[in-house]
Amino acid sequence: MKSGRIYKNLNLTVFTLVIVFLYIPILILIIFSFNNSKIVAGWQGFTFKYYQLLFQNTQIKLAFQHTLLIALLSTFVSTVLGVLAALGLENKRFTGRKVMNALVYVPLIMPDILMGVSLALLFNFLRVETGMITVFIAHVTFCLSYTIIVVQSRLKGFDNSLIEAAMDLGAKPWLIFWKVKFPLIIPGIIAAALLAFTLSIDDFIITFFTSGRGFDTLPIYVEGAIRRGTITTINALSTLMIGFTLFLVVITKRVRKLLL
Amino acid sequence: MNNSIQSYKASVLEQRSINNKNLQSWLLSAPSLFWLTLFFSIPYFIVVIYSLLVPGIYEVKFQFSLQAFREVLSGVYFKPFFLSFRLALFTTVICILLGYPVAYLIARSSEKWKNFLLVLIIIPFWTNFIIRIFSWRIFLSSGGVLNDVLLKLGLINSPLEIIRTDLAVIIVMVYVYLPYMILPLYSVIEKIDFTLLDAAMDLGANERKAFFKVTLPLTSEGLFAGSILVFIPALGAYIIPQLMGNQNSLYIGQVITYKIKNIPRNWPMASALSIVMLILIAAILLTAYSLYIRKVSRKRYEIRQNI
Amino acid sequence: MEEIRIENLTKSFDGFIAVNDVSLTIKSGELFSFLGPSGCGKTTLLRMIAGFEIPLSGKILLGKQDITQHPPYKRQVNTIFQNYSLFPHMTVYDNVAFALRIKKLPNTEIDSRVREMLQLVKMEDQSDKYPNTISGGQKQRVAIARALINRPQVLLLDEPLAALDLKLRQHMLIELMNIHDAVGITFIYVTHDQSEAMSISDRVAVMNHGSIIQSGPPDDIYERPASIFSAYFIGETNLVPCEVVSLEEDYVELKCDAGVGESFLIDSTFHFRPEIGQKLTLSLRPEKIAVSRTKPRTQDDINVVKGIIEDILYLGTHTQYIVKVGSLKFRVFSQHKRVYFDDKALDWEEPVWLFWHDTDSWLIDEDTPVGLEYSDVNVFERPFQMSRSVKRQHKSE
Repeated sequence: MKSGRIYKNLNLTVFTLVIVFLYIPILILIIFSFNNSKIVAGWQGFTFKYYQLLFQNTQIKLAFQHTLLIALLSTFVSTVLGVLAALGLENKRFTGRKVMNALVYVPLIMPDILMGVSLALLFNFLRVETGMITVFIAHVTFCLSYTIIVVQSRLKGFDNSLIEAAMDLGAKPWLIFWKVKFPLIIPGIIAAALLAFTLSIDDFIITFFTSGRGFDTLPIYVEGAIRRGTITTINALSTLMIGFTLFLVVITKRVRKLLL
Repeated sequence: MNNSIQSYKASVLEQRSINNKNLQSWLLSAPSLFWLTLFFSIPYFIVVIYSLLVPGIYEVKFQFSLQAFREVLSGVYFKPFFLSFRLALFTTVICILLGYPVAYLIARSSEKWKNFLLVLIIIPFWTNFIIRIFSWRIFLSSGGVLNDVLLKLGLINSPLEIIRTDLAVIIVMVYVYLPYMILPLYSVIEKIDFTLLDAAMDLGANERKAFFKVTLPLTSEGLFAGSILVFIPALGAYIIPQLMGNQNSLYIGQVITYKIKNIPRNWPMASALSIVMLILIAAILLTAYSLYIRKVSRKRYEIRQNI
Repeated sequence: MEEIRIENLTKSFDGFIAVNDVSLTIKSGELFSFLGPSGCGKTTLLRMIAGFEIPLSGKILLGKQDITQHPPYKRQVNTIFQNYSLFPHMTVYDNVAFALRIKKLPNTEIDSRVREMLQLVKMEDQSDKYPNTISGGQKQRVAIARALINRPQVLLLDEPLAALDLKLRQHMLIELMNIHDAVGITFIYVTHDQSEAMSISDRVAVMNHGSIIQSGPPDDIYERPASIFSAYFIGETNLVPCEVVSLEEDYVELKCDAGVGESFLIDSTFHFRPEIGQKLTLSLRPEKIAVSRTKPRTQDDINVVKGIIEDILYLGTHTQYIVKVGSLKFRVFSQHKRVYFDDKALDWEEPVWLFWHDTDSWLIDEDTPVGLEYSDVNVFERPFQMSRSVKRQHKSE
């Protein structure tokens, strides 16, 4: 079985390399956010000063608020709309099925840049000022496909005999929905919401095309800072955002365990 | 006589209930349908319209013109398209080469390891997009950690200029798109019945042959899905080439963005280029889809024949 | 055709010993079965012979060749897997041709051999079908064709009939025997179903906890079990705890403690010499016991006990009685033949006499385990005994 072992080792080697590849830049980022030096290389001593500068930076704070606001709003809207649509799509004989499927699945494989360009042009055509509203609209648009799919897949695994049992016991459709179906799809709804939230916070290119001057989200701000070269506090900001990501991952796992 | 009346009544009632359910579905889907039509489908029509207009320095002039398309078809933009296509291809291939062993290893590990390893792979993926690119800039820059380490180890004499090259672009592209390859591959490999590999080896195939004749064909769906999920978004890459690449070789994403954001603007041009990109993507999808369908439908045809 | 020799084979997983120092020789052309409950190590043993597990210690020899460390593709051994493991992305034809294509034989030769194999298993008109469109029995035949096309020295069958329903199982069992006759190679069969193993094998090895308890021809195992496990696992038996009272030249006298009352005599032609006072177990097969309401005219070579009928199960070909004798419960199968049948059928709570010939029992050199309730095994859980007239002649070298 010698050659079998060669392949196993090959797999393991590639795997380790990939893990290293995935984590090294991030770890460097975190470590150097504490580095007392403007130039990145070369350890000059531990410091919190970049974090302090971070918290004093009003632009970043504003961008953070914008990011959070958009994320919460667009998560809410896209999740609600998504749940409704997923429930509508449950019906196998729905005549609008093909149209809906096309609208839901096609955006998923389009490059983001096309969505950004098309929305920018739409808003220009309609003479709408780019800003918070347009960013909000854009975020809901790209999150909608994801929320619909997540809730749909959760609905697929739904045990319909529970509905039949409830009907058998005398409950009316409306009651059945709220007391039986809805509580059981809440985990799917939460998963969809978390996904939408993450996508919204993460987005750069679509926001880039639909925000104007004056409405920055964090990714927009960071990109600008990188371009301008004013990156001293970006390390610290990045570390905080990585921490936030880890926090989100832990929460998602916990929530999933709780509700399953 | 009574029987047929009853069954007629029953079918009418049934039809009514089907219609009711249908209406209900329409009502539930209406908001999303409306939203997506207005903000996803219609904008593409606007793009088509704009591609037939005249550019202005700030705003577009509403006059009909085929200037944009003439310029596109003149071949001036061949290079950016080619570069983007090549980038997407390299990225996809490298993602396959790195992603397959990773997905395979995770799929073959024990239950308790699987979850842990998956999370391990996904955490960097959940980190903010821009941050991830930023971290590579730090790592690869002339004053950055990689050069620092290599200099100190004496492996190089002067800092490597990695940023602002195509190499840097590909590295970061793979970095960003790798999970999109790993996850579909993992979900397909995980479902394979691995006693099939035992059977193949039992019949005389060594590990390599068993992989190519059994495992690989059975995971082709995952490879296909992963490739689509990497290749197509990679075609439209803007920010990664912008931050990591050489300003002498522009990718099509950058070209389109410049024409929208920079002054003087040329929105008709940007629109025309976007349409060409769309057509390119549609062509790729159709070819891939027809190849795939041909394989699947041949199987289905034979199954149907035998039933 | 070579014989297979297993020498001191041991295998453990994470400290759990799956196969414990097993040695035996399987003769060429034999149909050999490993029989035992789940977890007894038979599958692990099979996998080691196939090459999917490497033993911790010991050797496997095919003829003169030591194949212990060889990977599966280097052994002239082929396996029929429990769920057949047919390649879902290949047709029946391609599945069967697989091994030959690996060897890169010319297409014409491949074609003729594949067709020959498909004819052997009666699947020649299904060659273009995909595995997910054929039935379980057909899948099994394809699996056999796929394995045999290699012309291996040994065919390993890992619970091949487990996934089939009862009627199909019986049919396939006979087909397997026919194929074995036609092809003539060594078959090694692994199963937990004793009627399968007993009915088709030349020899059976009964396994438990990683060791071979007993091996030999089926009638040997059945009539002369070497341990309580063998007696208990195969067929039904009554285990009677006894103590040796006296040893005579041509018989041994045993006393049973459980209030049975009588003492038994056993014909002394058996396989070990007990000592006086030794505690042993007597295995008495239910079909060997006769039951009647009239006491038999005592003959010297018959043992008689008295009991009360506790349960009656009418099973068509025979009736099963549970008879309480002292504190023991005897299980008795009474075939419906004139010789044993009383004029009036026996009834519940009726006092009866049980009697058997003193050569019809078997003495096992083990103390009877406490708490072994031998009337608690539901008769319907065990498959009916297949007619042992299907017993095969053991191919001697």
